[in-house]
Amino acid sequence: MSLLNGHSHPRLAAKADLRMDPVTGQPVLLYPEGLLQLNDSAHAILLLCDGSRSVSGIAMELAEQFECEPGELEADVQECLQGLHQRQLLVFTP
Amino acid sequence: MSAGPRPYALLAELTYRCPLHCPYCSNPTQAAGGSELTAEEWAEVFRQAAALGVLHVGLSGGEPLARPDLDSLVAAARSHGLYTNLITSGLGLTETRAARLRDAGLQSVQISLQAHEEKLADTIAGTRAHRHKEAATAAVRQAGLALSMNIVVHRSNIGYLPEMIALAASLGAERLEIANVQYYGWAALNRDRLLPTREQVQKARETALEAIRRYQGQMAVLYVLPDFYESRPKPCMQGWGMRYLTVRPTGEVLPCPTAGSIPDLKPESVRERSLAWIWNESAAFNRFRGTDWMPDPCKSCDLRETDFGGCRCQAALLAGDAAASDPVCTLSPHRAVVDGILARAGWDESPWIRREHPAVAAAGQVW
Repeated sequence: MSLLNGHSHPRLAAKADLRMDPVTGQPVLLYPEGLLQLNDSAHAILLLCDGSRSVSGIAMELAEQFECEPGELEADVQECLQGLHQRQLLVFTP
Repeated sequence: MSAGPRPYALLAELTYRCPLHCPYCSNPTQAAGGSELTAEEWAEVFRQAAALGVLHVGLSGGEPLARPDLDSLVAAARSHGLYTNLITSGLGLTETRAARLRDAGLQSVQISLQAHEEKLADTIAGTRAHRHKEAATAAVRQAGLALSMNIVVHRSNIGYLPEMIALAASLGAERLEIANVQYYGWAALNRDRLLPTREQVQKARETALEAIRRYQGQMAVLYVLPDFYESRPKPCMQGWGMRYLTVRPTGEVLPCPTAGSIPDLKPESVRERSLAWIWNESAAFNRFRGTDWMPDPCKSCDLRETDFGGCRCQAALLAGDAAASDPVCTLSPHRAVVDGILARAGWDESPWIRREHPAVAAAGQVW
């Protein structure tokens, strides 16, 4: 039932709190009774999940940032977002 | 920076006052005297906790809604960046109150469910509680807060687990914790009356596993094992003093909510010492850290870094020695105590001993 495709616009769910862990200096995503320690690429993706960009748009922006092909990135971005969506930490709008 | 452990989550027990009288309550059966921490004292606890590395705070009790200053406690926790979760029966959680708590920065609410229908639920709670759940869950969703629910499973409701899971889903829970009773506090007094049979536990486990699959993507279902029926102990608190802090209503700091039941533990108070000192230096927090304290068979066991020797409270309760191997482990010399308890499962029909209100002076009265 996922709305995840290149055109959908992901944003963090209200209950998800993206912040830096002051002890490690690494990004973490907090949610009810749990947390995910994020790697740099997941962090870069989530910073762009504000509901204004499409999945393809996020891949294009990151491709520019990291100087690689958007096509190579889009599958990785989708995989990352799918995992977060299953945990109900991302919301997609068409 | 020190290489020692850092706490991730703080359980803030704001009060032991509660309108419910559940026979499985893990609160202490006899509270020491003293007055509840004030809002200012809690704000200082949250500040120090965040500085130590704490990321989550669970606002619990008793019933935390009994604190009329709860909004300001939430706001204080948020001002230090803590993720705030309210753990409540839902009694007293109106739309107005939920909106005020959200505006103060509350992010998530966990509401307990005693049973699938009013009569049994109210019998377990010892008061008219069930009819408030629907309104409370609606208020949480209306306020746009994340809704978790929890079900404590025991002999009187275990047969209705499928109905309870369906109810939680219909009330809009995004997360459901199904926890078998842990036998501490009031639950330890009622153990023989609460403990389900092996057949009941097996069936409940299948129900829970099926629910995990069925509700994937809609409601995250978590299942907490009934440890008496296991052969290895639970990795209690992921190790003593490794990740979690509990602060009691009167300020004592414990490695877990029930550690006060260990007779000679002597917890330190935030009224006397800094949280950092208590976490890093106090005898209570260092007593069972690491593996040096372990007796045989734990200290030579390959699982010593996996289950950390199990639960210290359970060892104190069942073996009479907090430094014994958890008697749940079949390698423990005290396992016969657990087997004796299991042999009695399903027989005791005596009435529950009801949770009463421990004598602690309130920081503010609602009821």
